Amino acid sequence: MKSRRWRHGVWRGLMPLLLLGASSASALAACPPNEADGKLLTSGPLQLAWRPVLQGNTPVAPTAIPMAGHFALTVQLCEGSSASKAVLKKVDATMPEHRHGMNYQPRIGALGDGRFRVEGLMFHMSGRWRIEFEVRSGEDVLRLTNDVQIR
Amino acid sequence: MTFKFDKFLIRPLVCILVLTSVPSAQAGEAEFSADEIARIASHGPWPMPAKTDTGNRVSGNPAAIRLGYHLFFEPRLAANRRIACATCHQPGRGFQDGLATARGLRPGKRNTPGLFNVGQHRWFGWDGGHDNLWSASLRPILDPAEMGGDARRTVRLLRSQTELDCHYRQAFGKAPDARDEELLVNVAKAIAAWQETLVSPSTHFDALREALLRGDDDAVASHAPALRRGLRLFLGRGQCATCHAGPLFSNGEFGDIGVPFFVKPEGVDPGRQGGIKRLLANPYNLLGRHNDDATGDNATATRHLKPEHRNFGEFKVPSLRNLKYTAPYMHNGSLATLRDVVRHYSEIDEDRLHSDGERILKPLRLSEAESTDLIAFLESLSAREALLAPVVPPAVAACDVPLR
Ligand code: HEC
Ligand code: HEC
Repeated sequence: MKSRRWRHGVWRGLMPLLLLGASSASALAACPPNEADGKLLTSGPLQLAWRPVLQGNTPVAPTAIPMAGHFALTVQLCEGSSASKAVLKKVDATMPEHRHGMNYQPRIGALGDGRFRVEGLMFHMSGRWRIEFEVRSGEDVLRLTNDVQIR
Repeated sequence: MTFKFDKFLIRPLVCILVLTSVPSAQAGEAEFSADEIARIASHGPWPMPAKTDTGNRVSGNPAAIRLGYHLFFEPRLAANRRIACATCHQPGRGFQDGLATARGLRPGKRNTPGLFNVGQHRWFGWDGGHDNLWSASLRPILDPAEMGGDARRTVRLLRSQTELDCHYRQAFGKAPDARDEELLVNVAKAIAAWQETLVSPSTHFDALREALLRGDDDAVASHAPALRRGLRLFLGRGQCATCHAGPLFSNGEFGDIGVPFFVKPEGVDPGRQGGIKRLLANPYNLLGRHNDDATGDNATATRHLKPEHRNFGEFKVPSLRNLKYTAPYMHNGSLATLRDVVRHYSEIDEDRLHSDGERILKPLRLSEAESTDLIAFLESLSAREALLAPVVPPAVAACDVPLR
């Protein structure tokens, strides 16, 4: 189980390879998600695990997302023990109490095997932020949300 | 009805609660809760760890720092040979000018910001029209309203003094040449390298913070009670730290606090909305080829910018360090004193705030005593002693000729 863990240091190098031949990277599929994939959200059979990544590709817990600092996310979509064919379409975040969102537009890169990397997020104030993941699965659009407290 | 209820019932109740829950004045550390101390901790340590600007290949380069220092005080960069960066950014005033709005070759529309700790910023200018320090330093040289300079004038100046010519060559490995399209960018990068060295001294607040973290009750108690009460107000009811966060007391982003943005004779200052446009149209932004960081990692903020309606009338959240030296305040210098600023927040006109904007600011309705406390806290964010003249960076050995 441990051997399939993603080496974050090689993301950059692997990205083109993964994009070219997603199927050849199946050895990296991580389903069902485990603790190292981060926080787990579910909607029906779909499982979504997300994890913040800081500059220098250090994975951290959601509570360690820096205030007013850019970070990225890794997202793994699974259905049972196989990678989901669903697609992560959009990631956004808002502060429900303040009624505003981020000042930055995250971009999603598909890495194959239900894995995505989301770049360019920033929570510019302390308080409660709600992250929303929009996933297209066939005809369906699913919205999964998760609240994090930033200080 | 609600107003009456609020005024006659809630207020006295709150007062009683507050009075009974405040521990004895001498209680020192116990005066702040663990949560408050954790929040206070996030406003330090000071100074912040120094940063190198990866987009500026001469960041930290001694020859560039010396050249930049010299050019910052050099009025001959300007078309009329009479305006230097230091004309507006005066060292004794925390690199500000004491004017409501700047006066260069022509009168400006905005207040001159202080330059201490500017190397730590993400955005530059009240509208964040620049994403790096060197392009923010190039703007005033070229701006016909500020210095109105150009490459030919700059090269003439550099060549006229061995010391400048030599430091330019040492920093950039070539002679200054007006046909070199990098010339002005290089000059701006040198001035930026010097500005990165401007770090403001530590303050009463920093000493209080350290005492709290050490658990040194006596040292905590030695700070004026008004300062401590003001700090609590800043973190708590005032919600000031929501925007004025971290060691700089700014989250580095933008907000609308209802400062009018009309500009005489007519027109408006669109603030951040215009800043984003300016930034994206600027060939010297971090997406352009003058960014010396080949990885482009330093351009994340620019690459992911998301313009929003609410940006109209938003201005950069200013750092609150060194306020003692940088009056008047706000993007248009419209508030003369800290008392005026505190009154602004106390009586803020919610109708002036964007309806789709922040839901953080409400009139605080501070009492006279509370206002005084908050001001005492804001004053504790400035250096304890008078500001010293900036340290003159040494000439590099290869150029070590006596200064005239
Ligand atoms: C005529 C007065 C004037 C002169 C001369 C001037 N500045 Fe400024 N400076 C300003 C004003 C006003 C602003 C704010 C501009 C804005 O918000 O659009 C500013 C902003 C800046 C900023 C951004 C600071 C921040 O916190 O966002 C930097 C850096 C800066 N100036 C550096 C320089 C340098 C370097 C020079 C000389 C090459 C210079 N300035 C010359 C008035 C001046
Ligand atoms: C919503 C974010 C936000 C909150 C909350 C906030 N500020 Fe500000 N503050 C700003 C912005 C933005 C400006 C600049 C506005 C402008 O120039 O139009 C500013 C300006 C200031 C200035 C002037 C600094 C200068 O150099 O011109 C002071 C002082 C200040 N705030 C103190 C406070 C205090 C005290 C509180 C709490 C009572 C507070 N702020 C709450 C965003 C905020």
